Amino acid sequence: MAEEQINGVIITFFSTASAVGKTLISINMASELAREGYSVCLADFDLQFGDIRNYLRLTPEYTITDLCDSIKADSGNSLMPMLTTYAYEGVSFQVIPNPTKLEEAYNLSPETIIDVLKNLRMQYDYIIVDTTSMFSVLNLALLDISTIVTFLGIVDFIPTIKNMKIGNETLHTLNYDSNKIRLVLNRSDSKTHIQLKDVVSILGEDFYHILHNDFISARESIATGIPLVLNGQESELTQELRALVARYTNKGYKTMEPQKKNSWLSKIFS
Amino acid sequence: MINNNVMLVEGNRLYLEQLSNIIRETETVTLVARFRDAKDALGQGMVFTPNIILLDADTPNIMNLLEEFHQAYPHADIICTGEKWSAESSSLYVNAGAKCFLVKPFSSEELLDAIFAFSKPATGGKDAKVMTFFSPKGKSGKTTLIANLAMAISRKTNASVGIIDADLQFGDMAFFFNLKPQSTIVEAARDTDFLSPVSLNSYFVPVAKNVSILCGTKEPSLIDKVSIHSLETIIDMARTMFQYVLIDVPAGFNPTSIAAAEMADTTYIVTMLNGGYEVQHIQRSLDIFSTWPDYRERVKIILTRVEPCTITAKQEMEEIIGYPVAGIIPNAYLDVATAADDGRMALDLKPNSPLSQRINYLAGKITKKKQDNDDDF
Ligand SMILES: Nc1ncnc2c1ncn2[C@@H]1O[C@H](COP(=O)(O)OP(=O)(O)O)[C@@H](O)[C@H]1O
Ligand SMILES: [Mg+2]
Repeated sequence: MAEEQINGVIITFFSTASAVGKTLISINMASELAREGYSVCLADFDLQFGDIRNYLRLTPEYTITDLCDSIKADSGNSLMPMLTTYAYEGVSFQVIPNPTKLEEAYNLSPETIIDVLKNLRMQYDYIIVDTTSMFSVLNLALLDISTIVTFLGIVDFIPTIKNMKIGNETLHTLNYDSNKIRLVLNRSDSKTHIQLKDVVSILGEDFYHILHNDFISARESIATGIPLVLNGQESELTQELRALVARYTNKGYKTMEPQKKNSWLSKIFS
Repeated sequence: MINNNVMLVEGNRLYLEQLSNIIRETETVTLVARFRDAKDALGQGMVFTPNIILLDADTPNIMNLLEEFHQAYPHADIICTGEKWSAESSSLYVNAGAKCFLVKPFSSEELLDAIFAFSKPATGGKDAKVMTFFSPKGKSGKTTLIANLAMAISRKTNASVGIIDADLQFGDMAFFFNLKPQSTIVEAARDTDFLSPVSLNSYFVPVAKNVSILCGTKEPSLIDKVSIHSLETIIDMARTMFQYVLIDVPAGFNPTSIAAAEMADTTYIVTMLNGGYEVQHIQRSLDIFSTWPDYRERVKIILTRVEPCTITAKQEMEEIIGYPVAGIIPNAYLDVATAADDGRMALDLKPNSPLSQRINYLAGKITKKKQDNDDDF
């Protein structure tokens, strides 16, 4: 029915340097949106060395490889049963894990992956996409299809900032609407002697949002497999993550208990 | 001053004129004789006492000719010229006594490079050691490692060291050495069909005595401008130009990193320990490399940001990974960052720091003639 058809928001996390927090933040964004009751799918398109399955301790039965095979077979079957569920204390969302085998990752076609996304975006309010740090064919296609691209940076040392600048300029050459690309700074007060204002002046652009460095919480969250926004510790970083999500959904975030009843999930898995 | 008296032997009539003009226009070089027929040059050239012979390698029977020229002119340098460079034929020429190979038509600068630059100690050829630095994910610390290692190797051995920054989208090597290169791997790749090792040399930027760099692309979109074929040609040529070649490649398995690894004598898997899932990433990478029958000799592991950086830590990691660890590098983030921010090398900053010590150790391992498996740390 037409009324059931949604065309979900796709939010992609991208950067030009590795280890800037794409995976950690995309996981937390998916979790926070799910906590607020949205139907959410989190896609690990760091195909070769994706960490979502690691950070969330998943042992998936199916991966993006199976989804691509299914789309190519054109069976018309729903892809949703092939997603992996992450659930913690009543909050749950679906995950598209990266391939188990490296050679599978190497051989997946970007077009088919985009077809999978196009198919799934009709089933979810939000699709959160984690990527690698390069302008690959797949990443360029993901940038195109995304509603919002979060371009993540850190104030590290000068080569990283140079690459951030080059990345940001390259993004601009793609001529997206100005509010599609959102510059977010992560780990803002980490050990470095470079000033934030210098970075802003190098980039010629202000950051849309700033997340603080909280090494201990981040590491613990990865070690336990529980996202920061779900683990009950309301650290500064957690607050900032919730605030980021609130800005993306255009509303203030709720600090109430997660909604458990009548979620879309209960309908599928009952 | 020694005179550069050139004798040109060129079978092609048009080239003979063109090259003669270039030689005449080149300062400090004199064209003393020119022949279309190599036999004429052998029989008559003597009276002009050339000390440099440009010999057309596209002549039939070039290998015999080379030997005859070598006997007839034992004190002259023979530079082979040809329309295209190839690794096999040029190494044949060099083994038969030629000094180097120059692609026609050459410029004055290339001619001078061939005459002067290559009078340095005989470079590797077959003996050159090519090393590719692979990392599963980015932020591995390999740019720092490569830069410092190259310096350490050249200091230890006086050998010539070349760095190729093939980390095509976001290579930082130029930054580490504070360079604003005129030419990069993009121009070298564009020109490979017209280049020989002598002329490729001018695309490398010297950064220290005996160390030079072929810098990376300036913008990500230029990646498409470096074909795998031209990268392979560049690596082949570099093998004849340097005794050690260190190649930085993009993270993960991609056509560039795979080609560079396949061409290398040793591939290092470089990973920074961040308390995440690095060990799994290394193991999965090893799975792929294990399709090489000799991968145990060819693939080595280097871990960066190892704290504490002790032999026990190294042995523990070997246990966990299930594979020998060739080297460990301590966390020297602030040293490295401070140095890099000023366009300097961390090694020059604190020569006795743990970082320098570990890098020197690795340089020692790499330059040692006979490989041993001693765990001397
Ligand atoms: N705000 C933060 N404060 C402290 N550590 C962080 C923060 N964000 C990320 N990290 C850490 O940085 C490392 C890299 O994060 P990750 O999400 O894997 O990066 P990417 O996916 O961009 O490669 C992880 O160890 C993570 O715990
Ligand atoms: Mg990641």
